[in-house]
Amino acid sequence: MGLRMKITGSESVDLRETSIVKVVFGADIPHDSNARSTDLGSTVLVEGKILAAVGGEAADDTSKLARWSLVPAENSDCYRNVQIDVVNASQVVRQITVPNAFVVDYTEDFTDETGTGIFKLLIKQKKDKMTTLKFEGGFSGE
Amino acid sequence: MGFTLKVEGPSTIDLGTTIMTGVKFRTDIPLDSNARSTDMGSTVEITGKILTAVDGDPFDATRQLGLWSLVPAEKSDCYRKVTIEVIAASQVIRKYTYPNAFVVDYKEDYGDTEGVGTFRLIIKQKKDKMAQIAVEGGYSV
Repeated sequence: MGLRMKITGSESVDLRETSIVKVVFGADIPHDSNARSTDLGSTVLVEGKILAAVGGEAADDTSKLARWSLVPAENSDCYRNVQIDVVNASQVVRQITVPNAFVVDYTEDFTDETGTGIFKLLIKQKKDKMTTLKFEGGFSGE
Repeated sequence: MGFTLKVEGPSTIDLGTTIMTGVKFRTDIPLDSNARSTDMGSTVEITGKILTAVDGDPFDATRQLGLWSLVPAEKSDCYRKVTIEVIAASQVIRKYTYPNAFVVDYKEDYGDTEGVGTFRLIIKQKKDKMAQIAVEGGYSV
């Protein structure tokens, strides 16, 4: 199963299936609601590897993620468009587009036992723009 | 994968790849925010070994980290400039620079089986100076 993430904003980030390990999509709805709540949010967790460039290839885009997580709220660049594709057997199983995503958590983990670092990026859609979030899939691609 | 740590203050603390075993970077943002929050911080957790000097080698600089963690808040040298590099395959994967870092936790651990002690240092960037943090990387050593 191939996972891809594309972030567009002031700079674009493109991470492929060689890098991304895990994507968790979640809709955040209050568990104690008695009827359908209007307080709806959406959180996406992306986990992947921080690869070292070998053989003269360009470095991966993960350092741009680290810089995005540090963009202050005063700067409009803190909101970016994130598109996540789940591709399997020439089918796009899911294509999740989060048009006004902002970072709520970012972690990088390096140890001397693993050859690569690990990043964890937690993003949310701006809550007043929930209707623009696109949740597509089930079409052929590749 | 190797790490180097450099702390610049009244004295310079240099820890090389033989000492450092892990680095964790974290951007702290309230998880319950509905839109991008201005309440942002950055934390680094550094783990490493406390080596014993043999054959007349100089003692490693880990003791200096312990002394830094004890500097009172009244003194300006509790804030120091920290540079951390992550190096793999002749590439600098990350170079983090925290110009106003302060210690929030420091722990040293010794046992009778390991042969070396371990330390864990947690530092934060001064919250009003978040814009000064630099994240570089992706170039050759």
